[in-house]
Amino acid sequence: MTFRNLSLVIFSFIFYAWGEPLWIVLMLFSSLFDYGNGLLIEKWHGTHKAKIMLWVSIIGNLALLMSFKYGGFIWENINAIVELPFDKPTNSLPIGISFYTFQTISYCVDVYRGEVKAQKSLLNFMLFVSVFHQLVAGPIVRYQLIAGQLKSRSVNWEDISIGINRFCFGLFKKVIIANVAGELVQKYLENGFTDLSSAEAWFGIIMFSIQIYFDFSGYSDMAIGLGRMFGFHYGENFRHPYAAISVADFYKRWHISLGTFFRDYVYIPLGGNRKFQLRNIMVVWLLTGFWHGASWNFVLWGFYFGCFMIIEKLLEKYLAKTPRFLRHLYTLILIVFSRAIFYFVDFAQLKEFVVKLFASKYQSGDGFYTDLIEHLFWFILVILLCIPWDEIYKKESNVYLKASAFNHYARPFMNVLLLLLCTVMLVDATYNPFIYFRF
Amino acid sequence: MHRINVILFLLMLAGGLSSFFLIPPKEISEDEKRRLATFPNLTWQGYINGSWADSVDLYINDHFPARDKCVEFADWLKYQKGLHFKDQEKIFVSQKKSKKENEAFDEEGMPLDTNMNFLDDFEEAYSGSMLILDGSVFPLNGGSPKMGRVFAKMVSQYAANLGPKTRVFSCVAPLSSAFIPAEKYKHYNGKNRATLQAIGNSLTNGAIFSDVLGEMNNHVNEKMFFSTDHHWNAKGAYYAYVAFCKSAGFQPVPLENMDRRVKYKFLGSLYQHTRDPSVRNNPDTMEYFIPRVKTSAIRYGKTGYKGSKSQVFCNSCSGGNTYSTFLCGDIPLIKITTGVKNGRKACVIKNSMGNAFTVYLVSHYEEIWVMDFRYAYQNLTDLMVTNEVDDLIFAVGMYAAMSNGTINRIRNLATQKGPPAPKPVKQNPTDTILPKEILVQPLIEDTLKQ
Repeated sequence: MTFRNLSLVIFSFIFYAWGEPLWIVLMLFSSLFDYGNGLLIEKWHGTHKAKIMLWVSIIGNLALLMSFKYGGFIWENINAIVELPFDKPTNSLPIGISFYTFQTISYCVDVYRGEVKAQKSLLNFMLFVSVFHQLVAGPIVRYQLIAGQLKSRSVNWEDISIGINRFCFGLFKKVIIANVAGELVQKYLENGFTDLSSAEAWFGIIMFSIQIYFDFSGYSDMAIGLGRMFGFHYGENFRHPYAAISVADFYKRWHISLGTFFRDYVYIPLGGNRKFQLRNIMVVWLLTGFWHGASWNFVLWGFYFGCFMIIEKLLEKYLAKTPRFLRHLYTLILIVFSRAIFYFVDFAQLKEFVVKLFASKYQSGDGFYTDLIEHLFWFILVILLCIPWDEIYKKESNVYLKASAFNHYARPFMNVLLLLLCTVMLVDATYNPFIYFRF
Repeated sequence: MHRINVILFLLMLAGGLSSFFLIPPKEISEDEKRRLATFPNLTWQGYINGSWADSVDLYINDHFPARDKCVEFADWLKYQKGLHFKDQEKIFVSQKKSKKENEAFDEEGMPLDTNMNFLDDFEEAYSGSMLILDGSVFPLNGGSPKMGRVFAKMVSQYAANLGPKTRVFSCVAPLSSAFIPAEKYKHYNGKNRATLQAIGNSLTNGAIFSDVLGEMNNHVNEKMFFSTDHHWNAKGAYYAYVAFCKSAGFQPVPLENMDRRVKYKFLGSLYQHTRDPSVRNNPDTMEYFIPRVKTSAIRYGKTGYKGSKSQVFCNSCSGGNTYSTFLCGDIPLIKITTGVKNGRKACVIKNSMGNAFTVYLVSHYEEIWVMDFRYAYQNLTDLMVTNEVDDLIFAVGMYAAMSNGTINRIRNLATQKGPPAPKPVKQNPTDTILPKEILVQPLIEDTLKQ
């Protein structure tokens, strides 16, 4: 196991260092820092010293995040009030920092709470922090979930095969769905939207909703699949979020690892639903928004959801009596609209776009209808992929059993096909024609 | 079944990897008109700042096994996303390239920064939306009167500097958007006209305006631009030549008095840009007309005057390079000597749009210097004065008059430091056609060496 873990750590570091070799120092520091913190917290368990070490860990990790992710944002806002004597920090955002800092915070908190034992092996701890499957785009893997797997795990044909299935499907979601949606987003939202009709504006933002879901869940699928190939069993990160029937339901299905992190480490310690529930909800959502990016629009986005979570809480009885279809529709409209807040970092652009959504003076051009027709089969595929078939057809149902049997035999060939299609599309994305010869 | 799944997956990976190493790498992508990436040298600095890894990524992308086939298959695959009807209007949005210039003007409308790099003039005009209509591509752009005025000031400045002995002509070609064959887009003709009129109305110091669009508007029922390429065709260029002759006091040579040639299956730049199947299925046929005048041509590189033999027409240019038939493509500087013994000399400042136009001028001048403002670094004033050039003609596509960067580039031709222009030497005109043995590829390679 030591050899397997060592090779995984080495290759994870090579993977991480590929684009940003310098930031490997940061990850090494983070690993050593919380490895030491964990040991000390456990050693001084039940004493004030343990609490101090816990705060050292939390503050240290948040300081990393503040410096590298939010440094420029903080500088801009303070500088707007008081002119600062130094230039705006221009650090690039180290890949995965939002994920691995949260993982190490959760580790120290769990050790402090006595829910897990501190990891004695530095190698195993480094593997927990750096394992390449989920390093770049999550999911946020809690230490308690994989503590045992770090120490001992088995890999068999079935694990690798299931991992391959999941990986190929994730790649398909990213390349065939998210990237295509991204092209339409660029066309309708990125190239200026002065003459957009309302229909085109809604179309653009719906495409962004599709892009963001399939992109993120595609990465999560690939991470979960890769993990499985190496014997790690990560938790699910998405469960058909666009089938949700309320905002609260949506966030039980969307980026689950982040939601549970904030639930367990912020919402419950603040008092959960026992005291100041509405305040706790708002705090969690403002933090969730801020986690997504260093810009006020993300805070507004968190506030937007905080408000609707509170409204849903207050109107719970009435919502329960509302027909399911209407609840689904209401949720989808809220979610799609929220994507506009998420997308436009500039508030002036957001305002202009919202006007376009509801009261554009322009008519849709013929090119818009062409786009609808030319993507017709793709839209159908997207809708099919958004439907929670496993919730509709229970495991014991005939349909489920037949589909499983078909899947079992067809999957290897489907994987080959998906891999080929994705490769072709990825190669096509590198096609970079020039009008004149460029040498 | 799990084992089969794993084995198939591993075989796929192994197949891809081994073919990557077994298939010899290509150097140039003809379709993309660029040199493919070479494997980067590993340096500590490059590794630490990530540029080495980026270059390796680029190398792998460029040399992926069967890359061209993959791109072709991807085009087919993308076509399967939905339904398609004939005459279906499509809007294609090209990826924006990074813009290197700002748009700051002084109170007279002149750009503040005169040393700005220019983005490729084509990219300036076409980096927005394009309309695909029945297999033809049109930019949804009509130019900018404001930039037209800036262009006119630059041309007028040349007229003032060169004095009354030299005639200076503005012979700007409209965009193909002026001729979109659909009622809904007719207003683009007006937009093109507004830009060109702004140029015409702003010319001073005796600079002469050739009303190219006005002449072309007399022939709207004829095809004057390619469907798959961003250039005008020989007919479009001919009507510009007629407009020029009217403004220069020449009698245009009728097309019937020239030798007609035809080339087929031309898929030009706009097909490569859009990769749209309807455009692919609508390849252009290029007819062109060779004036019955003997010529000889010398081509020069970017900076010097060490010339090599060239020709006015490249008969062997075909496929994606069909448009290079005119002047053998975009050569920084060409000197054409003709059999017309009238002692008149012209200098044409052009981008690629000017190539198809310039070839008609051989009937009116004994000597023509053709300078591609994007690539030439010889000093224009020096060249004009030393060779006692009579007419300076700005024969550019309108996209050269749509950005500060390109206009500044043309302005800088007058002052840029090049070697002293050579004293006039007589050449013996021979033939207008490039012999078959001189192919385009050596021309490209020659450009590489410069």
